[in-house]
Amino acid sequence: MTDLTSRLNPGRACGVLGLFTLVLVWLALDSQPAFVDALSALFAPSEGDIEQLVAHYSWWPRLSIALLAGGGLALAGVLMQQVLRNPLAAPTTLGVASGANLALLATTLLAPGLLAYGREWVALLGGGLAMGLVFLLAWRRGLAPMIVVLAGLVINLYCGALGTVLLLFHQEELKGLLIWGAGSLAQNNWDGVMFLGPRLALGALLAVLLLKPLAVLELDDDQARGLGVSLKYLRLASLALAVFVTACVVSVVGVIGFIGLAAPAIVRLLGARRLGERLLWATLLGALLLTATDLLLQRFSSALPTLIPTGATTAALGAPLLLWLIPRLKLGGSRPTTGIGRTRPAGRRLAAGLALALPLAMIVALHLGQASDGWHWLSPFGNNTPLEWRLPRMLAAGGAGVMLALAGTLIQRITGNPMASPEVLGISGGTAIALILALFLLPGAGQLTLIGIGTLGALITLAVLVLLNWRSGFLPERLLLCGVAITALFDAVRSVVLAGGDPRGQQIIAWMSGSTYYVDLPTALIVAGLAILLAWGARYFSRWLDLLPLGTPTASALGVGILRSRLVLLGAVALLTACATLVVGPLSFVGLLAPHMARLVGFTRARAHLIGAALIGALLMIVADWLGRQLLFPDEIPAGLVASLLGGAYFMWGLRRL
Amino acid sequence: MHFRTHPPRRRKHLPTPSLRGWLSVTIIAVLLVLASPLRAATEVATLDWTLAETLMALEVTPQGVAQVEAYHDWVGSPALPDSVADLGLRSQPNLELLASLDPDRILITPMFAALEPRLSRIAPVTSIGIYMTDGERWSGLVEATREVAALVDRPEAGERLIERTETALARVRRHLPASTSPLLLVQFMDARHVRVFGANSLYQAVLEHLGLVNAWQGTTNRWGFSLVGLEALATLDARLVVIEPLPVGVREQLDENGLWRSLRAVRQQRVTYLPPVWSFGALPSARRFAETLVAALTEERVASSGGLHGEGIADD
Repeated sequence: MTDLTSRLNPGRACGVLGLFTLVLVWLALDSQPAFVDALSALFAPSEGDIEQLVAHYSWWPRLSIALLAGGGLALAGVLMQQVLRNPLAAPTTLGVASGANLALLATTLLAPGLLAYGREWVALLGGGLAMGLVFLLAWRRGLAPMIVVLAGLVINLYCGALGTVLLLFHQEELKGLLIWGAGSLAQNNWDGVMFLGPRLALGALLAVLLLKPLAVLELDDDQARGLGVSLKYLRLASLALAVFVTACVVSVVGVIGFIGLAAPAIVRLLGARRLGERLLWATLLGALLLTATDLLLQRFSSALPTLIPTGATTAALGAPLLLWLIPRLKLGGSRPTTGIGRTRPAGRRLAAGLALALPLAMIVALHLGQASDGWHWLSPFGNNTPLEWRLPRMLAAGGAGVMLALAGTLIQRITGNPMASPEVLGISGGTAIALILALFLLPGAGQLTLIGIGTLGALITLAVLVLLNWRSGFLPERLLLCGVAITALFDAVRSVVLAGGDPRGQQIIAWMSGSTYYVDLPTALIVAGLAILLAWGARYFSRWLDLLPLGTPTASALGVGILRSRLVLLGAVALLTACATLVVGPLSFVGLLAPHMARLVGFTRARAHLIGAALIGALLMIVADWLGRQLLFPDEIPAGLVASLLGGAYFMWGLRRL
Repeated sequence: MHFRTHPPRRRKHLPTPSLRGWLSVTIIAVLLVLASPLRAATEVATLDWTLAETLMALEVTPQGVAQVEAYHDWVGSPALPDSVADLGLRSQPNLELLASLDPDRILITPMFAALEPRLSRIAPVTSIGIYMTDGERWSGLVEATREVAALVDRPEAGERLIERTETALARVRRHLPASTSPLLLVQFMDARHVRVFGANSLYQAVLEHLGLVNAWQGTTNRWGFSLVGLEALATLDARLVVIEPLPVGVREQLDENGLWRSLRAVRQQRVTYLPPVWSFGALPSARRFAETLVAALTEERVASSGGLHGEGIADD
């Protein structure tokens, strides 16, 4: 397999892909009357000929916009990955897309008049605001990569959660925006190209000007400062440039994920090392990848009863490509470092406080609630029917919170990457893909069938992860890239399903957002029991978890069997995630937030970290589930969304104080 | 019909089958059956708007409906009275609230099958499929109307509704111009994408009933529409029927949309805008669609005079 590296290089890959794209263009034009006609349609369509008009107003602008958007996103991706020193960084890492999305959703509902000025401007404004917030949060720490990434994560989560709440309650009004959210490249005139073209040209020019100073960022902070570079302003300038390019693309064609992450990653895997090289080849590759995807899609999707948005398919094609490449090629060992958190470890008093708050929250969640005639506190001797509904949900919320928090702590400590979470590992994504497909292909399937299919999905994903990473000895970076690819596949399935406008979309959104709604008492008891058992078991991992973050050489010198420990821990993460996902859906983000929150309050050693995260996870989910049921009574907000909003708010406050 | 053979269990939270429990359930059930002529009609709750619409047309007020406010925005008529409780989201109705209403029966569609185990703890659940089933749409609508009518013990009201709808459609059919070109029924999602309705849709069922031709012969999903870009409509020669509401800003954007302006129907000004009708509705929606469509095609001013629309609602 090593000779693959020598045969493939970025230039050749782009060449092959370029040829392929040209063939597709030729085939598409050939199905039109004649090549000459098609070309003339580009410049001067004859008025009466509808085919020429379609070519002029739809086909050619679409081809141009695909090239522009793909190139732009890849360029932004390279910049992001360079500045943030994180291979998982993507143009959307700083919340641009989710900010734009939220702005569009909110404007449609609250101030629809603004949309008459053009959707592009609302999207640009939203994206800009989200980015501004990220910078505000990270400014005091000089825009240090770690803090920027975390701030971006939390803003993304926050905007995403708010957007999902709006979608859940206004499904009918917002259905059109789901198409935008999935990234449709359909064009009806040249306005989009005219908007995007000059802006991207400007962006590319600025990127070239920034090449030299940016190369400095490959050194570490102290060396760079020694060269007399103001890191803060350099980062501000380059991130702002990347965000500007992304925001322009997103505002015109909607959310096109993955190209911005995959193109730079593939180019790097193919051996482009220097920044200039990466910028050039990634931009080309991104443009070609998106265009080829779009042409293929136009060719083959016309028979389907629904539109498949291109943005979603880039992931469907790019993810397998990335998965195929990962085990074959060498990865540069740039490793992000964790380590935010106070130096002063938290005392026992904090842990005791948390342990006390938990039963208190449980009691309130069980007894206090609303009915059609207002608030009630259940008296022990009165009518206890509501308990029948509240108990399973409270138990499931707590249990899932513990499991996800443990899984998150494990995966963040194994990989040393703060963006790692059970959701990112792909197990939830795999489970969710299986469940969504089952819901749509087997209408009327019962709960047991669904649980079986979900479990199968989790197992298959785990098998894929193990197979792809066996040879590399489960290197953290590869593992995460695999997970990201699988998660991208899940996002693709989800956005295709939602954009199609099937009325069942609301159910999918509600379940995916971390809902304890479907749990019955036996399941809830199993979940809660399992959570306690696994939390008890997890403490045996604490030695590994203290040593592994020190790096492979140190850890193995201290007697840790690297492969064995990684495999066991990965298995534990998979088990925890799969159980929790089956109960509360794939996107609860407790697994991401709880470990970070535990660290922020000072649980730094592995054992304390595990216990702290588990307690916080349980508390967060129980409180979120209860609040979600009361806030908009009788409407219910899924617990995962409320947890994201609560945890996210605390997290932002914590980041600001760091 | 149904609920007599399976008497409703009134106390769902009773402990599991102890002898006493069974005894009291049986006694209550017997009493209920005996008392049924004196009781008000069966209390029904439903999650689905199409079923709610049908219930209202049968003059049965449901005890609770999910997302009442949004129902009024999108289905509109027949309106729900204030006494109808809002059950929360259609996909996740508030179970505690539903249980406290203690309905005799809960009506759902197959779309909510995943909820059935939870709901059946509250009351017997009946699933009535209109849109996720195969088979001819119109007969499906009629069949579903009969099923609902039987469940609420008003079979004669069901027959009346069916007959009224059929007469109304036959009446508006006589108003149609002798030769009407094929129609393309679309609903804008944004300025570049539309849902185009075809086989399996409510609108298609109405077109067939009126003897009109749908220009969209492409595939559609179970709900009877296909999501397409505007370019998919370019080669079809038909009158465009745009079903409102248009998303905000779309009207303005269409003026600058080169492709839209080049469409044959747009250039020849063969575009008709119709007031909103719930795309996944039941017989009342079907009738409203037929009446507004024919009124628009015969270029009567539906909005100002009330015309066919008002006349249709009035006759019973």
